[in-house]
Amino acid sequence: MDEKFDCIIVGAGIAGLAAAMILARNNMKFLLIEKGEFAGAKNVSGGVLWGSDLARLVPEYWEEEDGGWERFINHRRLTFMDNQSTFSIDFKSSHFNETPYSGVVVLRSKFDRWLANKVQEAIDASDFAMESFIATNIKVDEVLMKDDKAVGIRTGEEEFHADSVIIAEGVNNLLTRQVGLQDDYVPADHMLTGIKEVIRFDQKVLEDRFQLNGLSGMSNEFLGYATDGIEGGGFLYTNRDTISLGLVAGIKEMREKHKSPHEILNHFKAHPVVQDMIQGGEVIEYSAHVVSSGDKRVMPKELYKDGLLLCGESANLLMNAGKAIQGMDYAMRSGILGAETIVKAKERGDYSKQTLKEYKQALAESYVMKDINNFQDAVHMLHSPQMFNNVPNLICDFGRKFFTIDNEPTKKSRALFSESVKKHSSYWDLMKLGFKGAKSL
Amino acid sequence: MKLLTLSERLGLVSYRNQAKSEVKPHIRVDTDICNSVCPHKCTTYVCPANCYTLDDEGKVHFQVEDCIECGTCMYACDQGAVDWNYPDPEIGRGVNWNFG
Repeated sequence: MDEKFDCIIVGAGIAGLAAAMILARNNMKFLLIEKGEFAGAKNVSGGVLWGSDLARLVPEYWEEEDGGWERFINHRRLTFMDNQSTFSIDFKSSHFNETPYSGVVVLRSKFDRWLANKVQEAIDASDFAMESFIATNIKVDEVLMKDDKAVGIRTGEEEFHADSVIIAEGVNNLLTRQVGLQDDYVPADHMLTGIKEVIRFDQKVLEDRFQLNGLSGMSNEFLGYATDGIEGGGFLYTNRDTISLGLVAGIKEMREKHKSPHEILNHFKAHPVVQDMIQGGEVIEYSAHVVSSGDKRVMPKELYKDGLLLCGESANLLMNAGKAIQGMDYAMRSGILGAETIVKAKERGDYSKQTLKEYKQALAESYVMKDINNFQDAVHMLHSPQMFNNVPNLICDFGRKFFTIDNEPTKKSRALFSESVKKHSSYWDLMKLGFKGAKSL
Repeated sequence: MKLLTLSERLGLVSYRNQAKSEVKPHIRVDTDICNSVCPHKCTTYVCPANCYTLDDEGKVHFQVEDCIECGTCMYACDQGAVDWNYPDPEIGRGVNWNFG
């Protein structure tokens, strides 16, 4: 392949596949390179793909009998937990049964492969059906730079050339570091390890247990005991006949507090309420992957260079601000916006920063950077020790007292709350947290 | 529901080039650093695949075979001992997720 591509995309995860779909539809000649045996082979997420961008890439994807997704979310639950109890905010609505869905649960090995097939269909329908490729089993060793402009990639001894390169390599962004957009060593401070098990049930048992109807599903996040004193949180998502049960835990805190992620996962699983949810299941896969926290301080210095763009988690586009863990939707949107910018660059015949900075502007004007910018305080608050220790303990302590009926005169809720506050925190700390919360949400 | 040990969990993972007796390690660890200046040897407990182990004398050893390419050690090691890369598809190891 001596010929030059319009664009080379590194990584067939959600960002890379979204970018490829846009390029194919705009009749661009591109190469999408994936190191795994197939798209999705190396990818792990919680995970819920939030928002409705998927319908932009695969219109009416919900009509497909066996699409790449597992279940749509119409039931949300946020659970605070101490060692014995859970106290949940629970919201379910048939409003969320309407398409386009506002979130679908996915298992990446299946989902990414399915999406890659859709991209291949788009390539086949494009002007470059025989000249654009999805190439798997190839590890990119280097982004080729000439006069500080990206001109292609090298894999082993082989080079491929292009007018532009989209790096969509994921959070462990070695190429992003190689081109100088991020430091060679990224400290553990704002990085977490995600760890999970896929647990299989008889489908009828799963549907009855979680009150699932057809392809409806539930997402449940956990704060407190789930992470054994480490910053982060737990999650449970329902798939077709499995659940994804896991957690994210801060790497720096695990280092300092001498904790192992797999032991924290067992600690979470052993909780009596979680045990009731997972009994009778069989673990069929164990997986782990690093995620970024959504703290802007770890993000790469810039999102573009001459001839080069960063999309998805390679740009640390991920956020957990309490309402949901968002990463795959950011990846999808950034891939779409990145590819749209490359299309413009080809029209203008200018792949320099002058054009590619429009990607950054488009991202800044989209919900992705708006949310990341607006919810930085929420990110900091959620990763503060009070939020994953004191507050869940306080809430569960109050819940236990509030719901206890023991043939003694019942105290007023306010007095009960006061007792719980004094035991697990102080009014002063809560006030500070309240201020932070009011400011951040 | 019974809790699984780490080796039971790793037994559920599919790896590439499993038939090959020798693979090219994709992560290089300078264990001299771990065993001389490192104050915490944290990779021996934060690695979700237990690729870093301590022997009876408290020395760190690294073996790549069970690595699931999560990246944790690359961030956790603040001593510069971990040279992290992705495995070579042909002669490396690395994961092949069935569910992901």
